[in-house]
Amino acid sequence: MSLRVDLYEGARIAVGSLRSNRMRTVLTTLGIGIGVATLLAIVGIIQGLNASFDEQLKSIGSTYLQVSKYPWGISGNWWEYRNRKKLTLELVDTIQRQSRYATAVAPTVWRMSDIAFLGEQVANVDVMGTTLAYQSIGGIQIARGRFLNEIDDASQKRVVVLGADVTDGLFRGIDPIGKTVLIDKRPYTVIGTLERKGRLLDENLDLTAYIPFKTHRADMGRWRDIQIAVAIADTTRIAAAEDELVGILRRARGTPPDKPDDFAINRTDKLMETYNKLTGALYGVAVGIGFITLLVGGIGIMNIMLVSVRERTREIGIRRALGARKRTIIAQFLMEAAAVSAFGGTLGTLVGLGAAKVVSEITPLAASVQPLTIVFGIGFSSLVGLIFGIWPAARAANLDPVEALRYE
Amino acid sequence: MSVIRVEGVTRDFVVGEETVRALRGVSFTVEKGEWVAIVGQSGSGKSTLMNVLGCLDTPTSGSYWLNGHDVARMGDDELARIRNQEIGFIFQTFQLLPRETALANVELPLVYRGVGRKERRERAREALEKVGLGHRMTHRPNELSGGQRQRVAIARALVAEPSLLLADEPTGNLDSATGEEIIRLFADLHAAGHTLVLVTHEPKLAARCPRAIRISDGTIVADGPGREVALGNLAEHARAHG
Repeated sequence: MSLRVDLYEGARIAVGSLRSNRMRTVLTTLGIGIGVATLLAIVGIIQGLNASFDEQLKSIGSTYLQVSKYPWGISGNWWEYRNRKKLTLELVDTIQRQSRYATAVAPTVWRMSDIAFLGEQVANVDVMGTTLAYQSIGGIQIARGRFLNEIDDASQKRVVVLGADVTDGLFRGIDPIGKTVLIDKRPYTVIGTLERKGRLLDENLDLTAYIPFKTHRADMGRWRDIQIAVAIADTTRIAAAEDELVGILRRARGTPPDKPDDFAINRTDKLMETYNKLTGALYGVAVGIGFITLLVGGIGIMNIMLVSVRERTREIGIRRALGARKRTIIAQFLMEAAAVSAFGGTLGTLVGLGAAKVVSEITPLAASVQPLTIVFGIGFSSLVGLIFGIWPAARAANLDPVEALRYE
Repeated sequence: MSVIRVEGVTRDFVVGEETVRALRGVSFTVEKGEWVAIVGQSGSGKSTLMNVLGCLDTPTSGSYWLNGHDVARMGDDELARIRNQEIGFIFQTFQLLPRETALANVELPLVYRGVGRKERRERAREALEKVGLGHRMTHRPNELSGGQRQRVAIARALVAEPSLLLADEPTGNLDSATGEEIIRLFADLHAAGHTLVLVTHEPKLAARCPRAIRISDGTIVADGPGREVALGNLAEHARAHG
C-alpha cells in the first residue's frame, strides 16, 4: 500500500472524526487559534513599526555621513567625547578637496531656541546653522520661497527657513515669506518654508529652522561644537567612503597612528541598527509570549489526541487486524492533529489580522501584516499540530492489536 | 500445500516474575477446503492459538506456515500485509466500525490493500449480497440486528478473498436461532470451498464441524471428526457437573 493511500485514508478518517466530535474540535481549535492570533498580531505590529521607521529614515534624506565629537546612540563615555578637540570649519574645505567619494560637504551647528512672530511663539525649535550644500545632503524639501544660498552665508544675513510646525505655529494662514521673526530677540527675515517631514523616533523633524552658518556663529556663539555632513553619491561604497574620511581627518588633525580616532563618524544607515538594538529585546519578549501561547495550544492538541487514541483503541485494533500498518495508523492520527491545528491556525490568522487592523486604527502604531505572514501562520500551526500529534500517534500505532481488540 | 502448518508452536507470557506457558508445543495442519473447530475451555490456550493463527501474535518458538508464508519470523509490516491478504477475521463481538456504513466496513480490507474506490465498492456490494444483506448496505451497525452485524463481518472477511477464514466464537453473542443461521452460512462457505477455522468453547458447535481439535493446558488433546471430539468434551462436561 502506498503513501498516497495512507495520506488519503488518514485525511478522510480525520475529517470524519473531527465532524463527529464537533464541540471538542472547536474547543481544541480555540487554543491553537488564540496562539496564532497572538503571534500574528505581534508580528503585524512589529512589521508595521519597522515599516514606519523605514519611512521615517527616508525623511531625513539620502544616506550621509556625519563627522562629530559625539557618536550617535546611547553607549560610550560622554566625558571623553566632550573633551575631544573641536572640529573646525577648515576641515570642511579639507574634506571637499581630498575626498573622492564626497559629493557635498556642509558644516552644521545647533542650538535650541524659541521663535516669535507678533504675539505668537514656538518654543524649543532646533535652529541649525548651515550652508546651501546641506539642502541636498539633508533632503530638504522647500514648500515656499527658497533655501539658504552662498550670499546669505558670506554676508551673514539674518534670514531663516522655517520647518512646517514652526510655520504653522507662527503664521496661521498668513504668507510667511518676507515677514520678520524673532529668534532670541534678534530679527530674521523668513525666506522659505519646508515641507512636512514627520517624526524620527521621538524627534520632531518639523520643529526646525535653518539660518546661514556664519550668522549662527556670530549670533549664537562661536564656542558651539560643529558637525560636518558629508553626502556620498554611491551609497554602496559608504564603508569605503567612511574609511577614506577617517584617513583624511586623522591626517588633517595630526592624530598619531597609535591613538584612537578623536572624532566620530555617524552614518544615517546605522540609525537602523541603533533602532533594532533598542527594540530587538522588546520584540523578542513579545514573540516569545506568542510562542508560549502557541505551545499551550499545542499541548491542548496533544491532550485531545491522547483522548482520541484512547477512545478509538478498538477501532485501531480492528484496522490493524484488517491489514493497516503502523505507519497508516500514524498517518491517520497525524492528519487529524494537523487538520485541527490548521483549522485553528486559519481562524487565528483571521483574528490576528483583525487585531492588527484594530491596533493600527486606534493607536499610532501602524500595524501591517504581509501576505507571507498569513501563509506562515497557517503553515506553522499545522506544524505545531504535527509535532504535538507525534506522541499520541505513535502510541496509537504501537498498541498491541490483540489488546486493542479486547479493549472495552 | 496446506493452508496452515503449525509445528511445535509455543507461546510464553511473562506476567511479573512468572512465565505463563499458554501454548506448550502445538503441531497440526489444515488443508485447503477444510472446516476445523478448535475447542477448549477458557484458559486452555485456544485464544492464544487463535491470535497466533491470525498473525496478531507471533509464537515464542516453533514454526507456522500460512499458505506457504513463513509467518513466525515476520516483521510488523509484513504481518499486516499477511493479515490483509490471507486472513478473514470473524469476531464474537463483530468488531465493526460504528461510524461507518455496512458498505464502508466491508470495503476496509480493500482500502488497506490499495484497491481503487470503484472496484472496492463493487466488490463490497457483491460480498454483502452473498451474505444476504444487499438491502442493508447503507445502514450503520447500530441500525442492524446482531445476526445482520455478524453477516456484515462475514462479508468483510470474504471480500478480500483470503485463503483462511478465522472465526472466534462467531455465535457467542447471538441467540440460538440467529446462531443457527450463521452456522448454516458457514456450511455454505465450506461447501463453496473456503477454508474455515472456528474457535469455540461450545461442543454443540464443534460437533457440526467435519473436524475438531481439542486443546487443553496449551497442548492438543484430541484431533478427529468433530462429533467425536465434541462428545469427549461433553463427557468431560458431564463429569464436572456430575
